Amino acid sequence: MKFMMLVIPKGYEQAKPGTLPDPKMVENMMKYNESLQKAGVLLALDGLHPPSMGARVSFSGGKPRVTDGPFAEAKEVLGGYWMIQVKSKAEAVEWASRAPMSDNEIIEIRQVQDFSDFPPETQKHLGDFKDKQSPPRK
Amino acid sequence: MRVMVLVKATKESEAGQMPGPELLAAMGQYNEELLKAGILLGGDGLASSSQGARVRFEGKTRTVIDGPFAETKELIAGYWIWKVASKQEAIDWLKRAPFDGGTEVELRRIFDLEDFAPAMTPEQRELEQSQMKRLHDRKKNPSP
Repeated sequence: MKFMMLVIPKGYEQAKPGTLPDPKMVENMMKYNESLQKAGVLLALDGLHPPSMGARVSFSGGKPRVTDGPFAEAKEVLGGYWMIQVKSKAEAVEWASRAPMSDNEIIEIRQVQDFSDFPPETQKHLGDFKDKQSPPRK
Repeated sequence: MRVMVLVKATKESEAGQMPGPELLAAMGQYNEELLKAGILLGGDGLASSSQGARVRFEGKTRTVIDGPFAETKELIAGYWIWKVASKQEAIDWLKRAPFDGGTEVELRRIFDLEDFAPAMTPEQRELEQSQMKRLHDRKKNPSP
């Protein structure tokens, strides 16, 4: 089963452009990433620059509307993710619990939809799209 | 640069509703264009938060809460990863996505190794490069 572990760092919604994690945090993260690799569960990971360097697009009435970050009303924002392959949600929760997070931070665990999770009708429409995808890292 | 395109959840996605055939077809077409342009690197749909969980950290304590989570606006239903030359290029492509009905999408820049470099020691940079290489190799030769 594939899961995403979504990191919700405290206060990241207010982080200025160019904000970097401190070296101690980088150190702890790299140790954790190494443990995920060694266990053979790590599929992918990425860190995200803060929302102040991003944008939002909302789609309604056929007209997309673009807003540049930061987003004043956001109380939680994504800071990064790991994608892991494990046997159960419980195992994903266990891995998430070992991540080097700070107080009042959250990791949200979400199951990645497999092609076979979709009903047959949807599978038909998705066709062989997945086979056409290029590998997700540069 | 790489960007992560976060498609926010809706009541429908949280209820596990599949998009209808017209939207699926339009999405398929859009993904095809992204692929052909060399932009699409990956993407996934996520099962609703009712199948998920949250882990909250406080000192040594971990509190696990099972989904669903009420704040739909703060949840994501899926994502893409795109390779683009600039934030503007990503926005231009995103505006062409066949979304409607109030769908919200957030665009975020992904950290490159070069971005992190000022925060890392030379040993950390080396380790990071080695980790990325192993991850990349594993992708090419996934274990069964």
